[in-house]
Amino acid sequence: MPVVGPPSSSDALPAHVVSHASGGRDLWSAPLSESPKDPVSAARACLQEVLDPELPISVVDLGLVYDLSVEDGVVQVDLTFTATACPCMEFIQEDIRDRLLQERWVRDVDLRVVWDPPWTRERITEKGRRELRTLGVGV
Amino acid sequence: MTELIETAADLEPSTRKAFRRLILSIADSKRLLGIRYSDWLLGAPSIEAGIAASSLAQDEWGHARLVYSILKEFDEDPLELEHQRSSHEYCSADPLDHPFPDWAAVTAGIVVVDGALTVLLRGLGEGAHQALSGRVAKMLAEEEYHRDLGSAWFRRLADSRGEGRERLTAEVAGMLPPTLDAFFPLDTAQERLVEAGVLPASTLLRERFRDETAELLSLVGAEVPVDTEPPGDWDPVRGRGPGHPDEEAVERARGDRNRALFVE
Repeated sequence: MPVVGPPSSSDALPAHVVSHASGGRDLWSAPLSESPKDPVSAARACLQEVLDPELPISVVDLGLVYDLSVEDGVVQVDLTFTATACPCMEFIQEDIRDRLLQERWVRDVDLRVVWDPPWTRERITEKGRRELRTLGVGV
Repeated sequence: MTELIETAADLEPSTRKAFRRLILSIADSKRLLGIRYSDWLLGAPSIEAGIAASSLAQDEWGHARLVYSILKEFDEDPLELEHQRSSHEYCSADPLDHPFPDWAAVTAGIVVVDGALTVLLRGLGEGAHQALSGRVAKMLAEEEYHRDLGSAWFRRLADSRGEGRERLTAEVAGMLPPTLDAFFPLDTAQERLVEAGVLPASTLLRERFRDETAELLSLVGAEVPVDTEPPGDWDPVRGRGPGHPDEEAVERARGDRNRALFVE
């Protein structure tokens, strides 16, 4: 008789949803083996892998990242949220921090929450819109 | 042109004291308003109305958190101010001292109390305090839904011929004067803030609120007065009447029962 284990995380999800691990952690790439020539682009690529906890699209495509800079291994991220009482604020900040600190060339992460200009759906990228439509979310 | 205010610490002492009162008035009111809305998540006239109340409550607590965080600019522990004051120290507007008894009161609360707070926030968005004016746009965007919901229910109740209209009329009449006194006070503390460029004059804000609500309020025979004397029992320290919110609501606002689990 085959042994039936507990369902894997993907068993409970529709086929087009690949992850519900916090921030898409199970899909994060391995850290770079050496320091990147363009740290800002590298940091942005990291954030591209961090998913919103409620919808599996990246925080970059959701338009939450307002600014990004890197100096002496410190990544500064200007971040906003879709709502002032967004229940995922802590998750998102922790996921961003953890993803960036996974890189050997990142020494620290300075997250700044900004509210001006306010987030609107217009900030979702075209790629993000396509992904949301695939999930049945109208934008 | 008024100079930008980078931090409340730059204000002269009497203006700083007035600014502290203003911050607490807004943040305490929003926290209490959220609690009063949350009481109606279940038991509203429809499931949809209850869900809307849930969203309103969530927004108000989000706004309260943003405004409380300004308290970091004062020489006091902001966590103590947010989580340890007694109900007698709360600066929330008087109409939030007790639970809204029915949906007519909730509706009046959205249009009168929440509406006046929104006019006040918009005024702060024009003001010189950078951190505050930078947070206002997001709050105002979320308040648009409150206004739409409040207006729709206001018309519905005002158009009814039964108890709903009577209750709405009574609640508006009761809430209007103390709301104006709390959010658009005509006293010297407020004048100091106007002089510092933090926000426009209370009379101007009252005029804006009057113009925005004139059509709705006329449905229940009410009107926003622009010039009213502060009541005789006005508490200038808290910028409100002499009462205070009920203890149970303040325990919830402070998070007393979850204090051991508190995370910053």
